Amino acid sequence: MKFTLNWLKEYIDVDLPVEVVADKLTMLGLEVDNVIELYRDLDTIKVARIVNVRPHPDADRLTLCDVVLDAEEFQVVCGAPNASPGLLTAIALPGVTLPSGMKVRKAAIRGQESSGMLCSEKDLGISEDHSGIMELPGTARAGQSLPDALSLRDTLIEVDLTPNRPDCTSVLGIAREIAGFTNQKLKQPVKNELPELTGEEVPFSVEVLAPEDCPRYGARLLRNVSISPSPWWLRKRLLAVGLRPINNVVDITNLVMLEYGQPLHAFDFHRLAGGRIIVRRARAGEHIVTLDGEKRQLDKEMLLICDAEKPVAVAGVMGGENSEVIESTRDILLESACFNPLSVRRTARQLNLGTEASYRFERGVDPEVSPRAMERAVQLLVEITGAEIVANGYDCVAGIKPREAIKLRISRTNDILGLQLDAMEVGRFLESIELAVTEADEDTLLVTPPSFRVDLEREVDLIEEVARLQGYNEIPTTMPIVPMSFPEQQPGLELRKKLAAMLVSQGFFEAINYSFVDENYFDRLQLQGNDPIRKAVALLNPLSEDQKIMRTMLLPGLLQNIARNTSRQSNDIRLFEIGKVFHPVADEPLPQENMRLAGVISGRRHPGAPLLHFGSTLVDIYDCKGTVEAILQEVRIAKGVKLEFNNNSSVVPSYTEPDSCIVCRAGDRLLGHIGKIETDVLKSFGIKQAVFFFDLDLDLITEHGPEPKSFTQLPKFPSVNWDIALIVPEAVASGELLTAIDNAGEALVEAAEIFDVYQGDAIAAGHKSVAISLTYRSLEQTLDDKTVNKVHQRLIMMLEKRFQGKLREAG
Amino acid sequence: MEQELRQLQAEAETKLATLDNPKDLEEIRVRYLGRKGLFTTLLRQLGQVSAEDRPRLGKLANEIKEALEQKFNARKAELAASVAGADRQRDDLSLPGRLVPFGRLHPVTQIMDEVCSIFVDLGFAVAEGPDVELDYYNFEALNIPQHHPARDMHDTFYINDSILLRTHTSPMQIRAMEIEKPPLRIIAPGKVYRCDSDITHTPMFHQVEGFLVDRKVSFADLKGVLTVFCQKMFDQEDIRLRFRPSFFPFTEPSAEVDIGCVICRGEGCRVCKQTGWLEILGAGMIDPEVFKMVDYDPEEFSGFAFGLGMERIAMLKYGIDDIRLFYENDLRFLKQF
Repeated sequence: MKFTLNWLKEYIDVDLPVEVVADKLTMLGLEVDNVIELYRDLDTIKVARIVNVRPHPDADRLTLCDVVLDAEEFQVVCGAPNASPGLLTAIALPGVTLPSGMKVRKAAIRGQESSGMLCSEKDLGISEDHSGIMELPGTARAGQSLPDALSLRDTLIEVDLTPNRPDCTSVLGIAREIAGFTNQKLKQPVKNELPELTGEEVPFSVEVLAPEDCPRYGARLLRNVSISPSPWWLRKRLLAVGLRPINNVVDITNLVMLEYGQPLHAFDFHRLAGGRIIVRRARAGEHIVTLDGEKRQLDKEMLLICDAEKPVAVAGVMGGENSEVIESTRDILLESACFNPLSVRRTARQLNLGTEASYRFERGVDPEVSPRAMERAVQLLVEITGAEIVANGYDCVAGIKPREAIKLRISRTNDILGLQLDAMEVGRFLESIELAVTEADEDTLLVTPPSFRVDLEREVDLIEEVARLQGYNEIPTTMPIVPMSFPEQQPGLELRKKLAAMLVSQGFFEAINYSFVDENYFDRLQLQGNDPIRKAVALLNPLSEDQKIMRTMLLPGLLQNIARNTSRQSNDIRLFEIGKVFHPVADEPLPQENMRLAGVISGRRHPGAPLLHFGSTLVDIYDCKGTVEAILQEVRIAKGVKLEFNNNSSVVPSYTEPDSCIVCRAGDRLLGHIGKIETDVLKSFGIKQAVFFFDLDLDLITEHGPEPKSFTQLPKFPSVNWDIALIVPEAVASGELLTAIDNAGEALVEAAEIFDVYQGDAIAAGHKSVAISLTYRSLEQTLDDKTVNKVHQRLIMMLEKRFQGKLREAG
Repeated sequence: MEQELRQLQAEAETKLATLDNPKDLEEIRVRYLGRKGLFTTLLRQLGQVSAEDRPRLGKLANEIKEALEQKFNARKAELAASVAGADRQRDDLSLPGRLVPFGRLHPVTQIMDEVCSIFVDLGFAVAEGPDVELDYYNFEALNIPQHHPARDMHDTFYINDSILLRTHTSPMQIRAMEIEKPPLRIIAPGKVYRCDSDITHTPMFHQVEGFLVDRKVSFADLKGVLTVFCQKMFDQEDIRLRFRPSFFPFTEPSAEVDIGCVICRGEGCRVCKQTGWLEILGAGMIDPEVFKMVDYDPEEFSGFAFGLGMERIAMLKYGIDDIRLFYENDLRFLKQF
C-alpha cells in the first residue's frame, strides 16, 4: 500500500516527523518498507513562459521558442507540437541533469542556438506522457521552481500489508491507525448525511440473484458527464503512488478506491441493455472480453454483473469491454458493491487476473464503507466532470449479516500473553480502536468490532489486538516451565553429522545443490531409456528448464560443481553432498525420499597440502575406495558390506568406466557404487580431467546400524612375520589371494596384507608378482620356526594350486 | 713394555683428536680398546714381564687404559654433539609443516547445526519431514485454506493439485502433533522451496521451524526462548531485540522479530536500510484452528512456534551479499567458512 504524507494530512494532522510515523506504523504491525522523498531531483527545473514561436529555418518539425524566466528573453529549440505563445511550461537550463541521466547543454541545433530544453512530463519522470511539453496552470509564475509551482514536494510511504488488514488498503484506514495513537478524530471527506437509496423512480434496475456472493450492491446514475483529462491535483495524487491517470471518470473511481479501500466501477449506461443490472453466477459456456482486451472463458462458480442480455463485468475483478466508459460516454452507472472474498479470489485465480479491485475484495471490503465511497465519488464526479446526479439509486443489502459480539475472557487473555491486565485496561485498549465493549461478567467482555475490521472474528483475534495495543515489547520475557523430558534425536541425523565431520577431516568440502535438476542429465549420464532412475517427480511450474524435475541422484550436481570449479582454475577438488533424492512410488501420493551421500574427487591427491611434502600426485580409484572404507569403518558396518569388482554391464552404471567400478552391497541390497566417471560423460559436463566418485545409500547405512563394540583379550605371546611373493596370472584379482588365505581357516594366521604388486623384467609376460606379508601368532605359546613353516608351506601350496601360482625365488 | 704402552697411548690420542666422525671413532675403539685390540694384546704380555715390574706396569697399563677410555668417551660425546648440531642446521623451520588440510562444512550446514544445537540444549528434539509435501500439511492444516490470500505469501512449486514442494518447515508442526501428545518441544530443520530467484532469493533455501506446546505456555515464554536463542546465536548477551505485530495464518498473535543490526550496531546502514534493525524470525502463538486440526483442545493447551531462514542468518553473520553464492559450490567460497 502506497500513500503520501500530504494525502494523509487531508484526514488528520500529522505533526510528528515522518520517521516517527513510519516507526509507529511498523510497531503496530503495518511494516513500513520505504520512505521516499518525491521529485527531489526536480528542484532545478524552472517554469518558463513562451513569448514567441517561430519556425526553424532548417527543420520542418522544430520550432524556435523565445522564452522568458525572470527578465531576460532567450531562444530554445523545441520539437513539441503544443509550443505556443503564452504557454507556461517546464524548462531545464544548461547544466541541469534530467531524471533519465541526460545532461542539458547549451547547443546549436541545426544551426540555431538553444539555451535549454522545454520538457514533457516524461522527460521529468512525472508520468509516461510524451505528447508535448508540459502545460502548467496559470497559477505558476515564470522563474519559479517546478516543484513549488505544482506543489510537488511530498513524501511517499510504502507499507507492506499483511493479508489480515484489508482495512488498511486505504489511505483513510492508515489515517485511522495514526488517529488511534495520536488521539485524534478523522476529518471525513464526505461531511453530509448519506442519502437513502430506495430504488424508486430511477430509469434502471438492479437485481442481486446471488446475495451470498454479493452482500451489498449499490448503483447510481450520473448524466451528462464530460470525459476529459483530470485536473492536476487529481493526476498528481495518482502519479505519486504509481497509478497512470486515464480520464476524469476512471481517475475518480481510482482515487476513491485508494481513499476508502472500496473498488468502484463505472459503466457506460447506454451500453447496458435494458438499463438493467443483474448480479448472478455465470452460465456454462459464457465468456466475456475484459477491459484488457482478453477473451475470458467463465465457469459456473464465477460471479458476474450482467445487463438484460450479457455479462458486462466479472464481479470484483474487472469490467467488460462492452460497457467501458469511452470518450463519447454521456451517462454513467456507478457501482459500489461488496463481494464475497472467497468468490472473488477463486475467480481471479481461475482467470489468472489480479487487479487492484480483486486484491481488496479477496481480503474483505467493509460492507458499510460502500455507500460512503459512492457518495464521495458522486460528489467528485459532479464537481469535476459536470455530471448531474439522478436523485435516487439502488442499495441492495440483503446479503449483509449482522456482526455478533465476541466473548473475550480476561483470564484467557492474560494466560496467552503472559500479562496481568484487568477488564478496565483491556476494555480501554479495544475501545481506542473503535471496538464496542460491554462487560458480561467479572472475567468476560462482550466485544463488537466495527464493520471495517473484517479480520476480527474470534476471541484470539481480540487477544492479538490487546497485545498489539499493549505493545509486544511491553510484554514480559519469561522462560517456559515444562516437565523435563529427554529429546529423542533421529538416528539418521547423528550419523550424517558424524560422516560429514569425518569427510571434512579427510579434506572434503561440503556442497549443497538444488533438489531440482535438468532432465537432460539422464542423457548426459548415458542412462538407458528404460533405466528406473529416469523416473522422476516433475514440477508443474519450474522456474527454468534446468530446474524441471526432482533429482533422482546426487552425482549430476557434483559433476556440475567440478565443471564450475575447474573453469575457475580450482582443479584439485574433493566435494561431498548429503541430500535427498526423490523416486516416484506407484499408488502413493508422495515420492520416496532417499537420503544419500555422494562424493567426487579430482586433481591432486591432497589439495592444498604442501607440494614440498606431498608432491602433485593425482588421485586414482584407490583414493575413492579408501574414503568409502573409512566411511564404513566410521559407521562400523565394514564387516557387513561387500565390495564387488566386475565389469558386468548389468551392474556397472553407464556413467562409469567399466573396468573401474566397485559395487557395494550390504547383504543382498545395493549400498552404492565407487568408480571412475566415463570420458564421454565428463565431456558432456565440460570436464577435462579424471573424476572419481562414490555414491552411497545413507538410509540403508542407518538401517543397518553399527556393529556392537566388544573386547578381545590382548595377546600374551609375540607374533612372527613371514612374507610370500607369488607369481600369478595377471587376471587374478590380488584381493582374492587374501580372501583365500582368510578362508583357509588357519588358526595361526592373524593377518595378511599385500605389500607389493609387481610386473616387469623378472616376471614372465602375462603374469604378476604379488607380495604378501603374513602375521602368525598363537594365543597359547611363542611360535617356533618349525610350527610356522608348516602352516606357511600349506598356504603356499594352496595358493599355487588355486591361482596357477608359483613361488617367486628370492634374489 | 712401558715404552710400548706410552707409544700406544700417544698414537691413540693423536688419532682420537684428528678423527671427525663416529664411524672412525668406533674403529679406533675396536683397534685399541676392543676385546682383540692392541691394548688387550699388550696386556696379555704382562705375564711375561718380571714379577717385580709387573704390579707397576699393570697399574700403569690400567691407568692409561682408563685415561684413554675417558678421552674416548669425551670425544664420543663431542662428536655426537657436533653431529646433532649439523642436523639442527639442516632443518629449515620456515618450510611448511606436513599437513593435509581439512575441508569445510557448507556455511548453511554450519549455521543450521549451530541453531539446532542451541535448541537441543534447551531440550528440543530434532525432527525432519518430507520435502515433497501434501497441500494439506503445507497449507490446509495450517489454517491456510484453498482460497486464502495468505497463499500469495508463498510462491509455491506444485507437483499437482494436492502435492507441492513445501514452502516452509511448518508442516512439521502438524506431522509431529498428529503423532504425539503434549508436552512437545521440537525443532525441524530442512530445505524449503519457493519460485523466486534474485540476489536475495533462491528457489531452494533452508529453514528451521521450532515449536513448544504444553499447558499455560504464553507469549512471554516465546519472547524468553527467542531472546536466549538470539543471545547465543549472535554471541551477544546484551543483544537488542524487538517484537513487531505481523500475520501468519497459523499463529495468533503473530510477531516478527528484529535484532539490533549486527553490521552497524544500530547506527543505520545499507544492510538494515538505515533502520538499525534486522528482521530474522517469524513467530507467534499457535492458532487454535491449528490445534483443532490435530485434535488438541485449544482450551487445555497452548504453544508457540517460530521459523527462521538459515541463508539470511549466514549472510548477516558473514557479510555475504548475494544468496546465489550458496548454491554455486565454488571452492573459493566454501573455503572461507
